[in-house]
Amino acid sequence: MSILSIDDVRGGYTEVDILNGVSFNMEPGEIFTIAGTNGAGKSTLAKAIVGLLPRVSGRIAFEGEDLVPLAAEDRVQRGIGYVPQVANVFPSLSIKENLQVVAGVAKQKARIEELFATFPTLGQRAQTRAGSLSGGERQQLAFARALMPRPRLLILDEPTAALSPAKVADAFALIASLATLGVSLLMVEQRARQALAISHRGCILDGGQVALLGRAGDLLADERAAELYLGQASPNERFGQESAVL
Amino acid sequence: MSYLVLVQNGIAQGLIIGLAALSITLVFGIARFPNAAAGDMLTFGGYAGLFAFSATHSLLATGLAAIAATALLSLLMYYAVFRRLAGRSAVSLLVASIGVAFMIRAVLGVSFGHGQLVYEIELTRPYIVGGVRVSPLDLKLALIAFVTLAAAFGVLYMTSIGRQMRAVADNSDLARVSGIRPQRVMASLWLLAGALTAIAGVMLGMKTIVAPEIGWEILLPAFAAAIFGGIGSPIGAVAAGLILGVAQELSTPLVGFTYKIAVSFAVMCAVLVFRPRGLFGKAEAVR
Ligand SMILES: Nc1ncnc2c1ncn2[C@@H]1O[C@H](COP(=O)(O)OP(=O)(O)OP(=O)(O)O)[C@@H](O)[C@H]1O
Ligand SMILES: [Mg+2]
Repeated sequence: MSILSIDDVRGGYTEVDILNGVSFNMEPGEIFTIAGTNGAGKSTLAKAIVGLLPRVSGRIAFEGEDLVPLAAEDRVQRGIGYVPQVANVFPSLSIKENLQVVAGVAKQKARIEELFATFPTLGQRAQTRAGSLSGGERQQLAFARALMPRPRLLILDEPTAALSPAKVADAFALIASLATLGVSLLMVEQRARQALAISHRGCILDGGQVALLGRAGDLLADERAAELYLGQASPNERFGQESAVL
Repeated sequence: MSYLVLVQNGIAQGLIIGLAALSITLVFGIARFPNAAAGDMLTFGGYAGLFAFSATHSLLATGLAAIAATALLSLLMYYAVFRRLAGRSAVSLLVASIGVAFMIRAVLGVSFGHGQLVYEIELTRPYIVGGVRVSPLDLKLALIAFVTLAAAFGVLYMTSIGRQMRAVADNSDLARVSGIRPQRVMASLWLLAGALTAIAGVMLGMKTIVAPEIGWEILLPAFAAAIFGGIGSPIGAVAAGLILGVAQELSTPLVGFTYKIAVSFAVMCAVLVFRPRGLFGKAEAVR
């Protein structure tokens, strides 16, 4: 059974539809990348899945259960984690409080210790206010907060956008390692080539619709995708370096 | 010497303003609107305390009864009015809270008349500390205010629900995707806001009189303190309340009793012009 099954999803913030019938499936353990130009509706789709979009129709099924009638806080309990594109930590809370505040976590103390072991910088600065962290540290905290309830599906909205080029490879390595631990990952990325390089499959969103859908390798090889959405690969592009960004 | 008496009165007045300002700033930070009903919640607390005091003559029972009654009223306001308007603009909620304020005042006026009621407190001999007369009642009231403030800060900074309240104040969407249930947080917020105004009402009633308008008159200084302290900052609201209370009293010999309230507004205007984020205002939210 698909872990996530999106079927003819429409909706938006007001009466205007931003999503115009999006459909695709994700299999357990997959890394799935959503690419597309600015304003294509990528973040809006992520919000629709986690329950923050005011108006949604269609079907969004997680492990077979329709999420659409569920409130955002109930979707978390079902096993969906989310790292928003912006404002993804609680700035006036300390690092530790950002993790403690997550509701419904079994063995909370042990879980925090686990995450501090994964992100040692966070552990060393547990009492620091999140608002005073650097972009990279904040992104780590945003990951840790989303991982607190041990989600089976993690949705990442532009996880590398706030990072310096040197840290981008680390972030993609972390994302790949999460997948080996059994977490399925749905990732929105502007660095589409690098994201697809570690993904199993992906799609390209355009005007609130899926323009292309397929295996990551096929999308990277697709001339139309390359030309319209991914940017031309630079001749000496290697994984880990700053690649062509749309 | 007379200045020390003014300072003493100012602290009492400042604690009342500070408690009300804390209630206002918490509601503003978490429910995101300026609650104009805070003043009349305070009046309600004053009446609830008055009846408890006539029945028991115990300060503790009075405080607890006022807290229970006002917190309940506050919760009722949330479920009956503010919850239904969730998601509307801050102006809609402000207007609704003005409506609620008038309703509370009308109910109090119709039920207990518009006359002035007083707490029948037995006069006790003041302590003389360094030549200054300190009434035991003032000391007890200050103690009650400090205990209430300490309890409120304890809830905010040392409990799980307090942490959730601060998280919702920071970012309510992120709170929801962290599994935090907004309704539980809001219900707790309104209970806390009610408890704070209740104690302010009891203090004001004991220091002066109880009448339907007493809360309305304290509302503007309380708003001034909330803004002066940096709207949304709990510690700022209390500090600013104390500063305004003392400033008002100290200015009385200069500007006269009638105009002392204007001092609050002079301070508030100066803050808005020179330090728009207030004393303890948060830095711009990250990103
Ligand atoms: N909170 C909002 N209220 C109203 N409209 C919004 C809101 N957020 C986004 N939109 C609109 O929805 C459309 C899609 O926005 P969205 O954020 O989903 O794009 P995106 O693909 O994530 O773009 P980017 O790559 O820039 O992050 C845009 O036209 C945007 O103006
Ligand atoms: Mg986006």
